[in-house]
Amino acid sequence: MVTIFGLTISEIMNIMVKEGVSIPLIQPLIDFLLKIPIIQYVVALILWKPVFAVLILPGLGGLMISLLFIIWFERKLTARIQWRMGPLEVSRPIAGLMQPMADGMRYLFQEVIVHRGAHKPYFVQLPILAFIPILLPIVFIPAGSIYGINSPYSLIITVALLALIPVTIIAIGWASNSKFAYIGSVREAFMYFAYEIPFMIMVLGMIIIYGTADMATIVEKQGIWGAFLNPFAFLGILITTAMATSRLPFEIAEADQEIAFGPFVEYSGILFGLVMTLAYEKMYIMGLIVSVLFLGGGGGPAIPLLGDLSPAIWLFIKALAVMMVMAFLRSIYPRYRLDQALRIGWNSLISLSLLSLVVAVIVRFMGGV
Amino acid sequence: METKFGRIKVLYPKQRLIDKIKGHVEALNAGLKEAIKPGRITIEYPRERRELPDNFRGFLLFDVDACISCFQCAFVCPANAINMRGAPNGRYYPCIDYTKCIFCHFCADTCPRGALHRTKIHDVAFSDMDEMLATTEELLKPPEMIREDKYLVKYEIKDGDIVLVKEETVVELAERPKFEIRPAKVSACAHPENCIACTLCVMTCPSNAISTKVENGRRVLIIDPKLCTGCGLCVKECPTCALALIER
Amino acid sequence: MKDMAIDIPVEPPAELKSLFIPIPPEYVEDAYNKDEYLVLVGPQHPGSGHMRIILRLKGDIIMDAIPDPGYVHRSMEKLAENRLYIQNIPLLERPSIMDPGNYNLGYVRVIEKAMDIEVPERARYIRTILAELGRIGTHLYDAGILAVFLGHTTGFMWPFGLRELICESFLRATGTRITSSFIVPGGIRWDLDEKVLDFINKSTYTLEKRLKGFERIFIKNPAVISRLRDVGILNRREAIEYGVVGPFLRASGVEYDVRRVEPYEAYPELDWDVPIAEDGDAYSRFLVRVEEIYQSISIIRQAISDMPGGPVMSEDLIGRIKEKDKVSRDIRGYFYRIFSKLKLPSGEYTVLTEAARGTLLYSIVSDGESNVPYRVRIITPGWAYLRGFMESLKGSRVSDLQAIYGSFGYFPPEADR
Repeated sequence: MVTIFGLTISEIMNIMVKEGVSIPLIQPLIDFLLKIPIIQYVVALILWKPVFAVLILPGLGGLMISLLFIIWFERKLTARIQWRMGPLEVSRPIAGLMQPMADGMRYLFQEVIVHRGAHKPYFVQLPILAFIPILLPIVFIPAGSIYGINSPYSLIITVALLALIPVTIIAIGWASNSKFAYIGSVREAFMYFAYEIPFMIMVLGMIIIYGTADMATIVEKQGIWGAFLNPFAFLGILITTAMATSRLPFEIAEADQEIAFGPFVEYSGILFGLVMTLAYEKMYIMGLIVSVLFLGGGGGPAIPLLGDLSPAIWLFIKALAVMMVMAFLRSIYPRYRLDQALRIGWNSLISLSLLSLVVAVIVRFMGGV
Repeated sequence: METKFGRIKVLYPKQRLIDKIKGHVEALNAGLKEAIKPGRITIEYPRERRELPDNFRGFLLFDVDACISCFQCAFVCPANAINMRGAPNGRYYPCIDYTKCIFCHFCADTCPRGALHRTKIHDVAFSDMDEMLATTEELLKPPEMIREDKYLVKYEIKDGDIVLVKEETVVELAERPKFEIRPAKVSACAHPENCIACTLCVMTCPSNAISTKVENGRRVLIIDPKLCTGCGLCVKECPTCALALIER
Repeated sequence: MKDMAIDIPVEPPAELKSLFIPIPPEYVEDAYNKDEYLVLVGPQHPGSGHMRIILRLKGDIIMDAIPDPGYVHRSMEKLAENRLYIQNIPLLERPSIMDPGNYNLGYVRVIEKAMDIEVPERARYIRTILAELGRIGTHLYDAGILAVFLGHTTGFMWPFGLRELICESFLRATGTRITSSFIVPGGIRWDLDEKVLDFINKSTYTLEKRLKGFERIFIKNPAVISRLRDVGILNRREAIEYGVVGPFLRASGVEYDVRRVEPYEAYPELDWDVPIAEDGDAYSRFLVRVEEIYQSISIIRQAISDMPGGPVMSEDLIGRIKEKDKVSRDIRGYFYRIFSKLKLPSGEYTVLTEAARGTLLYSIVSDGESNVPYRVRIITPGWAYLRGFMESLKGSRVSDLQAIYGSFGYFPPEADR
């Protein structure tokens, strides 16, 4: 008898099926698959809630779909505002939705050039290593009953892991060993401090309001959305999201007209594809956090047919909405200069975050939620 | 000097906090307005084709019957793109080197008989550089065309805004624009007293219409109006302005 | 604040020796010994155009900027010596292809001045319209480049979309979108009919309407203002000293416009203002040009409404041709016969024109015998204000380079000729 952690396989199967995601819409199909040998283990594993949260929704699957969608959406929306058509020729009937996929294929088959001056191991590894701080926070973000790890400190851990992403970007710039990459890394480092402190103060404010750092509890407690409880924090976090994901008007580290994509200037091929999507992936995580803190997380009218999946889908849609707002900013703003962005971060945003802290304390003393 | 000129002093927009917030809101609003109702002016080119005016300066076509081999197009070409090449019938006809042509259409404006005429073709592809030298035969008929366009798009201004008017037609691109052919002229010795019998004109004439004979001990010019094409080369060459172009 | 320097001997990078940069090696070593470094921006850089700017940086601050122009030099002055006067028209409008009206006009006016040709009234008005259309087109082009330098992609697309109206006007009037070669000595190539003039008139209203939207999203956008304000300042004295021309000179408070000082064409008969600004920074340079677009629109409308009738070719040139009336409206078929014999009396002739980016000088030396110019001298505005551009860079940050570059609308082909 094979045992894992002292449990037999059938016992593990029982746990997985019991804690599986129940979707009434495709329940007959799942039941059928669970009867087939071997495949039943795979299906049960995927549908097991912690694995489902990481792999499908809101995890890797959601990340990929949102990535493909938001890149297409951003280009299409920008084109619409700019009196153009946007991507169209790849898959005309669905308005060029396959364009990001085609671009990805192109990157995949392009030669990856590692130039002589680069620190080779880090130069190749870092774009892949950067995925760790991006994927780890997903484990802690709850979508209704679907979550990876339930912890009373999940919000704090998520924010801490997010703070690791710029470190990888700075390391990428260092490994590139180029003038423009160097300037870009320094800019990234400056920006990092400018947005991270107000961001954390504002998250602290939200923790004060809800009285807990457990995201599942935060979602449960949101009778009124956090955005209405503390609009200052909401506005501030939207701005920090734009800064953290280097969206315009804060696309300063990558400024392609000034320093030619900054830290990523030396990359090519699929490695460039990976580093280019870093900011979008970070945007997805930030979108999830914003929807959990301010937009009621997985809350929303339940769809009985989808069962456990319904809150996950609501969370996904809300995160996408936040990303769409960020995508919209791109066609409105130019880029701020570094010192101006730092002034905004250290001056306006910190004031805004302190104001939001005061509001949070007031809300707390008025009775909280 | 008394003028009506005035001057305007350009002022900064105010940048107080309230103005800044207003500016941000207005910018976002302007973007949002376009996102909802875009003022799109893109023409989807291979499927749609924009309407071009009759005087559009495009690919040149050549009418061999109208040509009088006067060489003026080759002389005026600023880019030296026009070569005159001998044809089997003894005349010279233009070939256009499209690697050099800048589409100024000085040649089309020069041609006294409208033999070189403009078309609306502006998208010709060549497979290599040698092929870009369009010989006279290639200029006689429009190049081979694969038409993908189904619509004709026209910029029009309605209610103070620009709109694209689409029409489901396929226009003929190589149509010859209406050109009033100037009356044909012939060269004649208008001032025989000026003639110094240098016979430069005889040597210049591309169609051998000018000959000389001796009359009363004086060499006089004989111009055969049947052979003369009215190109005016001899008129240009004549050092004493004895020759002129007259109505036939 | 005290200057901090870490005393580590730094070797200048070896590749600086092999890049053929136009600065002495001592300068490079000096920079690296003083804890400064050189950044070569261009000529393949997305934000520099076909020019290299050698920046000497101390941290983020530009200490010195050395231009390395000439990457698009086409030796136009020399080429012009081997062509007939009429054949130079397409050549000499190439420096700035988006501004064909002014560049054509400048060259043609030299010939007219030398040969003392009287231009008919209607042709003068149409030339004014074409020149102003070119001016609007160039200013829109520069606004787009400025916007994309700042990372504002909508600000790039909208002016280029609006420029489509200008191109369409040129297309209907002259048969091409750019490089029209339409203005010839003595007049213009053919008359414009009412439909074309009506389209140009109407399109100015569209332009004005859509510019309002552009104003909201770009010109008055607080982020744009903060990027451009107090950046690259040239005060009045500096601007005059460094020989800055055109709208950039007017942005520093100098009221100088060739159209006003030495009026030509139909300008004296029309009512318009010269926009000036006091501050001389990047934003006022931009605002002056935006205001000039509105002034040009007003000039075009007046010129169309006041348009007189009559011929568009000068009698002086078509005098020898029999069907004068027909030819005076349309020289098709007579082009070579009229213009091939142009021969300027011997002497040197110089004419100033206000092109979109500033004062444009054409000077022709003729020996009075040949049918080609002996010498042609062109001083384009881009070349004239390159010095001022470089001086205004000093002391600003690296990221301001693009803002200042865009605010000058520097166009390397124009400066290099």
